[in-house]
Amino acid sequence: MKISSSWLKTHLEHGLSTAELQALLLKLGFEVAGIERKGPQFSGVVVAKVLAKDKHPNADKLSVCTVDDGAARYSVVCGAPNVAAGQTIAFARIGAVLPGDFKIKKAKLRGVESQGMICSREELGLSKDADGIWVMGEGPSLGADVGSLLGPADDILEVEVTSNRPDCLSHRGLARELAAALGRELKPLSSSVAETLAKTLPVEVEDAAACPFYGGRLIEGVKVGESPAWLKDRLESIGLRPINGVVDATNFVLHDLGQPLHAFDADRLAGGRLIVRRAKAGETFLALDHKSYALPEGLLVIADAEKPVALAGVMGGEESAVTEKTTRVLLEGAYFHPPEVRKSSQKTRLRSDSSYRFERGADPDAAVWAAERAASLILQLGGGQAGPLNGLPKVRVSSGKRIETSAARINSILGAEFSGDEVVGSLKRIAKDFSGDASKFAFTAPSWRHDLATANDLAEEVGRFLGYDRVPYRLSPLTPRAATLTASEAAARRARARLTALGFCEAYNYDLLSEKALAAARLSSEGLPRVLNPLSEDWALLRPSLLPGLLKNAQHNLSHGADAVRLFEVGKAYSRKGGEVVEQWRVAGLLLGPVLDARWQSARAPRAGFPDAKAAVEALLDGAGPLSWEAPGQGQAGTWVCDPVFHPANALRAFAGGQPLASLGWLHPRVARAFDLEREGVVLFELNLERLAAKPAPRAKFRAYSPLPVSRRDLALVVDAALPYGRLEETVRACGVAELQDVLLFDVYEGKGVPEGKKSLAIRLTFGRDDRTLTDAETAGFVQGLVAALKEKLGAELRS
Amino acid sequence: MEPTKTLAAWQSECAKVQSALAEAGVETAADLPTLEEVRVRFLGRKGALTELLKSLKDLPLEDRKACGPQGNALRGSFEAALAAARARLEDAADAASLKKDAVDLTLPALRPPRGRLHPLTTTLDAIAGIFRRLGYSWAEGPQIEDEFHNFSALNIPDDHPARDTQDTFYLQDLPRLLRTHTSNVQIRAMEKSKPPIRIVCPGRVFRHEQIDATHSAVFHQVEGLVIDEGVGFADLKGHLQAFLESLLGSSTKTRFRPSYFPFTEPSTEVDVKCFFCPGSGCPACKHTGWIEILGAGVVNPAVLRAVGWDPEAWSGFAFGIGVERVAMLTHGVRDLRDFYANDLRFLRQFDEDLV
Repeated sequence: MKISSSWLKTHLEHGLSTAELQALLLKLGFEVAGIERKGPQFSGVVVAKVLAKDKHPNADKLSVCTVDDGAARYSVVCGAPNVAAGQTIAFARIGAVLPGDFKIKKAKLRGVESQGMICSREELGLSKDADGIWVMGEGPSLGADVGSLLGPADDILEVEVTSNRPDCLSHRGLARELAAALGRELKPLSSSVAETLAKTLPVEVEDAAACPFYGGRLIEGVKVGESPAWLKDRLESIGLRPINGVVDATNFVLHDLGQPLHAFDADRLAGGRLIVRRAKAGETFLALDHKSYALPEGLLVIADAEKPVALAGVMGGEESAVTEKTTRVLLEGAYFHPPEVRKSSQKTRLRSDSSYRFERGADPDAAVWAAERAASLILQLGGGQAGPLNGLPKVRVSSGKRIETSAARINSILGAEFSGDEVVGSLKRIAKDFSGDASKFAFTAPSWRHDLATANDLAEEVGRFLGYDRVPYRLSPLTPRAATLTASEAAARRARARLTALGFCEAYNYDLLSEKALAAARLSSEGLPRVLNPLSEDWALLRPSLLPGLLKNAQHNLSHGADAVRLFEVGKAYSRKGGEVVEQWRVAGLLLGPVLDARWQSARAPRAGFPDAKAAVEALLDGAGPLSWEAPGQGQAGTWVCDPVFHPANALRAFAGGQPLASLGWLHPRVARAFDLEREGVVLFELNLERLAAKPAPRAKFRAYSPLPVSRRDLALVVDAALPYGRLEETVRACGVAELQDVLLFDVYEGKGVPEGKKSLAIRLTFGRDDRTLTDAETAGFVQGLVAALKEKLGAELRS
Repeated sequence: MEPTKTLAAWQSECAKVQSALAEAGVETAADLPTLEEVRVRFLGRKGALTELLKSLKDLPLEDRKACGPQGNALRGSFEAALAAARARLEDAADAASLKKDAVDLTLPALRPPRGRLHPLTTTLDAIAGIFRRLGYSWAEGPQIEDEFHNFSALNIPDDHPARDTQDTFYLQDLPRLLRTHTSNVQIRAMEKSKPPIRIVCPGRVFRHEQIDATHSAVFHQVEGLVIDEGVGFADLKGHLQAFLESLLGSSTKTRFRPSYFPFTEPSTEVDVKCFFCPGSGCPACKHTGWIEILGAGVVNPAVLRAVGWDPEAWSGFAFGIGVERVAMLTHGVRDLRDFYANDLRFLRQFDEDLV
């Protein structure tokens, strides 16, 4: 809201500089977002006359003028082509200061001395662009100070008023707040209307709850014309466009007193009456903004005998607007129930200074006295005769709430030790209706303070007036409590630590994505929670998986020069189950490109593949119980939402402790193409963090380890080329040799020396016992048994 | 045993050995084998010096006493010379072979990939961590919320502008919305427990806002809630001052100014003295010398009543901190969108440690 500091002074002599005013407003909870300085920002500029214009001896474009300010004559070099003898101009004498702290000094221009400067409006900060010097026209006497002729300077403050304080949305409202804070009195407001007309216009209110008060006053014989300069200046100073005397008077009162008013041309009201009613189905309304609105049924309108002429509290109608031709004015002063105005404004997307105030809550009492002030202003500007206020209901709308509390209670809310006198003193400045003393008092909020209803509200008032800085800092001995983590957060931390240790960088993607992005990842949008009012189609759906986001990130990084990507994200994925949205913490990751940043030793930097994804999943599941793997879509692995993203033949579901917890695999080639990743080998995984969190790994318990040496044996086994390695390891472990501590694959070979259709798998077996060293014969016995089992079950032969 | 050698004879042999030693070239031996040859020549089993020392026993007893030390001294100095020469030759040999072993040490490091945590994770954890050390427990709540927990219970009336579809994302076909703040966790946590409570609720929130450098439709907040006996605005000031000093340094200057939130009363916004300029004003503080860092207030009794807690017996305070804002201030990030682009050139600028 724009507040003119000179306008503010018409209500309160606060005696503060603009900077002090800004500081006080801030202390009271009103931020000043900006200050615009208006009016003359210069000094030492006087009215003068150009007596003669001569050519500059050394420059074609310059002239040398003789200037007279009534007291002396000066020789001035001027570059403006429009300067001419006989003109009255604004003359900056030596010593003048122009906007931007530009001091006028004696200067030589192309060898000719200039004893001042003839100014343009731009140079005086009076306009943004100017064609040459300012020719002032006849009138002002020579030597007069140009600044004083233009009127006083003004500072326009952009004040931010929080939504609970609509009472401060005007000059008087803010002045009232400042007066209370400073303990000063507002200047009295006097306006009375001589009711010389007996006529009224009939008014009917159909819904008194929606419109608790509606007042109309007829003014006849008005001459509608241009507003006087003072009024236009006021409106223009806060960025409003003057229209005509009547409209300007209502706008002035809105910004002066905070009460929105409306003036109808009474002759343009069909049937010569007004009804406050609900809009009927199919009604339209041509508003003052020249736009026609189809009114949703039930919005509160002011109608004449035929149609809506105003959307109550929001905007008047074009067809009943006051124009230069108007002679009979109906001046409306009303109070509308805030939700009604809000609903109207929202449904029609029509906002105005009026709706802004009504929807936050106007002062019900002001509908009478502010309308009176507007009426007297209209009479003062355009003459005419005013009738009596035809108000409904005749009784006053009730005022604010009564709050009973004590200074001790206020101090307890604040944790402060303000004296009873200070507390009571602060509150008495707000409410005239105050009884009792510090130990127990009753405070009745004034009609404009809808925000005061509880002791907490009063505590804030006391805190604001006395200063939040006077409330002490307290780290009191609260009930001691253990700071705990949630299971999902604990699991998320473990996941982050393990993945960063594996070289993954953490990504943050939005939870919302487009149908297109989903389709690119081969995911279905069916049954997904959908946003009713998305910012755009890119934000239509809640993500069912974190993988589409990571794929987009991979694409982005590749197209920006990266050749290796390891990203992970911890976030929520969404689905619908009946009438509920299910949100679930997930961890997902993506890998592509060289594992090591070591191009000059390519042997040590293979490209990431399935085993790397497996390593990540194993790390995430470490501690969650014995691992096993199955193909998705089969048996216990079941079908997961993210399955279509993966290569159907090269994906696995990871089980820990018998529970399916993660999916991992190569990217589906079609998805790779859709994300421009087809030249890259991309592997990904996604894990259900909540399932993992539900069974947190127990705290590690120390187990004594054997100081005895172990025995290692290497075997190369020739098996069918199609046999998965996993079967071999399973078979070895299934033999149940208790002394077998580890099985390690160290070579996979197909080719020369191995029969066609076969491959050689080389494994290292580690045997050991905690109580004694194994003999060679014992170890040989184990190996023999294992080799026999492998031969029997898998047809494996020892490679010779 | 009878002496078989005279003193003079021994002395003469000694002088010969001595001069032979002097000419043996111990100091100038070119390599270790040459040196070894010299050693054997004098100190081998049949070596000249060995023989000389052996022959001491053939001297009369009193001569032996005089010549013994003389012979030993001779051996001592020869051995010392040998050791010195050996050390010199070994050093030289090592130097040659070490030189031959030299590889190019300026080749680039073989870098295992180094993972990083997202700066929002570390910032969020830094914020929440300070409160956890003050005894706040971590709490979470749903991101898809109903109107009761996101608005009504927080004293935000049905017709409040925040509920407008211009500010809030709603779901189709379901009476649910994307939570607009983490304050819903206050309500969720209070419903599930009994007073007192002290929680910190970090999480993701959503606002219906076009995305640009300073606006994001998705962002993160850390909410805090303390309800206990006799808690007032002073406790809020104490806790938040302690927090801000921990986060930004012990010389942090703060300013608590009145503001408005429906769920707190009294309410405040907290500014910290700009740490980019000396108070003279800069773009970071919008030329005010102060940077707005969080919103807070005394819990509105209406909120306690909404969850069935007695506002006469219990009171407290709540606060909300924007994680992106703190991350931008502490890391100097200028565009909010950088946090969500996941460009590795961005992500790799930040540390992987939880602060």
